[in-house]
Amino acid sequence: MDIKPILSALRRHRVAAALITLEIALACAVLCNAFFLINNRQELMRIVSGVDESATGVIALSGCEGCGNADFNARVLGALRAIPGLRAAGTANSTPFGPRAGYMGASLDREEQHWAGVLHFYLFDAAAIEALDLHPVQGSPFASDDFQPVENFIPTEAPVWVTRALAEHLWPGENPLGRELWSGGHFRVTGVVENFAVTSPGRSEEGVAGAQWSVIVPVRDDAQSGSYVLRADALDLPRVMQAAREAVARAVPEAVLDLQQSRELSELRERYFRSDRAMAWLLIGVIAAMLLVTALGIIGLASFWVQQRTRQIGVRRALGATRSDILRYFQTENFLLASMGIALGMGLAYGGNLLLMRHFELARLPLAYLPAGACLLWLIGQIAVLGPALRAAAIPPATATRSA
Amino acid sequence: MLNMQDVSKIYRTELVETHALRALDLVVKEGEFVAVTGPSGSGKTTFLNIAGLLEEFTSGSYVLDGVDVKGLDDNARSKLRNRKIGFIFQSFNLIPDLNLFDNVDVPLRYRGMGAAERRQRIEKALTDVGLGSRMKHYPAELSGGQQQRAAIARALAGDPRLLLADEPTGNLDSQMARSVMELLEDINARGTTIVMVTHDPELAARAQRNVHIVDGMATDLQRGSVLASA
Amino acid sequence: MFAYYLKLALRSLRRHPVLTALMVLSIAVGIGAAMTTLTVMHLLSGDPLPGRSQHIFYPQVDALSTDRARRDPPDMLDYTSAMDLWRAQRADRQALVNDSRIKLQAPDTGHPSLMTTMLSTHADFFPMFAVPFAFGGAWTAEDDERHARVAVISADLNEKLFGGDNSVGRTLRIRDAEVRIVGVLAPWRPSPQFHSLAGGNFSQGDTASFYDTPEDVMVPFQTGLEINDGHFTQFTCNALPATPGSLRNTDCVWLQLWVELDSQAKVVDYRRFVTDYAAQQKALGRMPFPENARLLSLMEWLDYNRVVPRDVRLQSWLALAFLLVCLFNTVGLLLAKFMRRGGEIGVRRALGASRRSIFAQCLTEAGLTGVIGGAFGLLLTLLGLWAVRRQPVEYADLIHLDMPMFVATFALALATSGIAGLFPALRASRIAPAMQLKTL
Repeated sequence: MDIKPILSALRRHRVAAALITLEIALACAVLCNAFFLINNRQELMRIVSGVDESATGVIALSGCEGCGNADFNARVLGALRAIPGLRAAGTANSTPFGPRAGYMGASLDREEQHWAGVLHFYLFDAAAIEALDLHPVQGSPFASDDFQPVENFIPTEAPVWVTRALAEHLWPGENPLGRELWSGGHFRVTGVVENFAVTSPGRSEEGVAGAQWSVIVPVRDDAQSGSYVLRADALDLPRVMQAAREAVARAVPEAVLDLQQSRELSELRERYFRSDRAMAWLLIGVIAAMLLVTALGIIGLASFWVQQRTRQIGVRRALGATRSDILRYFQTENFLLASMGIALGMGLAYGGNLLLMRHFELARLPLAYLPAGACLLWLIGQIAVLGPALRAAAIPPATATRSA
Repeated sequence: MLNMQDVSKIYRTELVETHALRALDLVVKEGEFVAVTGPSGSGKTTFLNIAGLLEEFTSGSYVLDGVDVKGLDDNARSKLRNRKIGFIFQSFNLIPDLNLFDNVDVPLRYRGMGAAERRQRIEKALTDVGLGSRMKHYPAELSGGQQQRAAIARALAGDPRLLLADEPTGNLDSQMARSVMELLEDINARGTTIVMVTHDPELAARAQRNVHIVDGMATDLQRGSVLASA
Repeated sequence: MFAYYLKLALRSLRRHPVLTALMVLSIAVGIGAAMTTLTVMHLLSGDPLPGRSQHIFYPQVDALSTDRARRDPPDMLDYTSAMDLWRAQRADRQALVNDSRIKLQAPDTGHPSLMTTMLSTHADFFPMFAVPFAFGGAWTAEDDERHARVAVISADLNEKLFGGDNSVGRTLRIRDAEVRIVGVLAPWRPSPQFHSLAGGNFSQGDTASFYDTPEDVMVPFQTGLEINDGHFTQFTCNALPATPGSLRNTDCVWLQLWVELDSQAKVVDYRRFVTDYAAQQKALGRMPFPENARLLSLMEWLDYNRVVPRDVRLQSWLALAFLLVCLFNTVGLLLAKFMRRGGEIGVRRALGASRRSIFAQCLTEAGLTGVIGGAFGLLLTLLGLWAVRRQPVEYADLIHLDMPMFVATFALALATSGIAGLFPALRASRIAPAMQLKTL
């Protein structure tokens, strides 16, 4: 089908054509950026914690005045380890999706000349490392005398593990083993774990890129108290967690159990990403509503055009147009309008993205989103115009000879 | 050219059956100029729609230029219409969104002709009807007579074997009507078969043969007898 | 005449139910989305102290920068600067604030202990922020001086521990100390919870927690520092404190100062006072970058912290873009509708209708469509706000449709349909008078 006569007919309906073009353009712009936002959220929600979340739980207690770490841990862990089905339990300052316990600025030299970034320092005793099922993929496990007491907050000298992503960030392309870090203490890398997310992955200044910037520091089992990780079979975990909450409340009645934090890691993860999930669904809702409104607009305008052109459609049929010629005419017309709208919309999408970049610290819109948005709008346009176009094709040729 | 035998058309609604044509027989030979007359509601328009393949008929047979059109599907009928028939309507039926050039282009497009040939044909057709200088004008910018000439150019551009005209001068004043009529006679003289529906006796008198339709049946006026076995 | 146009409009809407439904739906969806997000914006970006906020200021000095000046002073103050500025008593009212976690018990209620947040502040806090009391009242400046073991509690906590009764005179146990309740607040829910807000620039737009409920327990500043020693959290430090949670003589910033200044002259004076203080500290070798000292008003402080969560701002932009799509859609549909009636309008013109009256008739119809769309939009807005209230965010309980936003919904609907109707009505009024319907 040649498009020239369609274009010249559209030129005679400039205003209506411009309106629908603008509507499609705007929809295209919002669509591309909304897709991008949804994908950003999904990327966030896909962050790997490095822990088997369905087999790991957290118990958090606070407010035991004057309790010594050793005595307190003995009572809590004693109660936990008595629970049938519990595989391991140990002390940890926090876990992925837990409270922010150990974010500290670190540097690559003692003089603090080479900034390493804000890293999360995890303090685990040997039992916690077992409970979290952490194994270095490179380097060696901690020896028993690597587990040290803490000075103020952190051991002053310690071997540490880092994640592969952090090693790549700090020493790109080099062997991280034996490298050193300074941050309130002096640390030497003796192992690399595949993944272990910081407590607030994706919400730090580095975004998703900094999600794995964790340092794992071995500490003695009486170095800290109040926060515990435990492990059980995934199927058994809900029961074990329930038993753990009850047992701990009995074992240390003077402390207050934090019911918000004393959860399975999978629950903590779900809660951590809840607002992202809500936002993603909201964006999907907006996209759906916008496509619906755009489709309604196309249907309304196309119906109007079909009705307005009833007689000339009859004439075209009399002059030899087949039904599919008429159908194709309206489909092509819609395709042209959608294409103009999409062309304009790509510019708008790019402009909208610039605004988002400036005001919402978003990344640049990857170009791949543009054709995706375009295809969706073409599809919606074709679906919307099908009804009116079929009605047009059904107009009998004898309409041409009907007197006015 | 056109051979209708025992053609009838019945419109059915839930309540009534309307016989628009009953057992109509009509033969038009190649090169003839036939005027079809009759009172309002006699079935003239139905005859024209069937002859022009715009509507299907209920029973009988219709052979157009050697093609039996009975049972042809919508697509085949559209193609046949496009290649063999030219239409001239009482109200011109030019497409207001398109200029004269594009209007004449419409049937040629559906025939799938190449651009160069289309251009040549359109220019020739419009020049033939005296509108060669107005090809870029839109219908609304022309007089009624000019519009009807443009419509005739559109009908002729595809070199149809049969020209069907529906009250071609009905919306024109007498002077314009005369010039359009002369144009039709000229076209007929060059070999195109014309069937013209009209209720104007003066116009009908200028045709070679008159057929009168009353109550859906055709009578050849010149011979005064029903064309039962022509 | 308007009544006649209204009658015509109603009839026209009824005559084309499908087209009418499309337009009403389009307007309603656009209005619903826009008003839902705008209401949330309106509630979250409002003034937490209407009528008073212009007198409330937030002094800052830079006690952190050592060899290189920061772009802005740190969000909080160190103990020395905070106490110096407060003790000078140069403002009409002044109060230091600090939030810390406490373990709380009400010994004579049998209620189990709970962990909650305590605000340590000065007596001026309550009159300065017009905090409402249900029972009793604030402590006095003398109580501040004496480090008195007294407390004011929130309505929520009073409900939880004492069933909402007058609990003035009862005792609470905070960590190892006992405090006597002297006042119970009436429900108080500033939006945002401005007085202890900080760090908005480091939260990556994730600022929903600024809209949490205020602290449950409030005690005199020095009382708080005494009874909760070892449990304070630094905002940031140059060097780690020797004893975690004890921040009085450390290189950490962790305190905030609010002052009330009732005239422009006092603001100028106080600004000079803060600048002079910083310069004097530099002379003492303590604050190398005195030029970082500043005095922001309450609203400036909220702006600086970008309190409205990024997602909420993003949603508002999205909703406005969506409303624009709906607007274009409505213009298109109205145009189609009026042009479809071209014949009728031509005849009306021939029968003596002026352009103006055709214009008015069309605009009336657009407006009526808008009002109906607005009514449905209002329902969708209520539905949207209901959905927001069910979100797991701190500000969920703040979200409701107030009177201004209720009115704004209809204003927006009318404005939308008016703007949408303007152009189609103009086109319709240009249709030439004619006695017959044009074909083709």
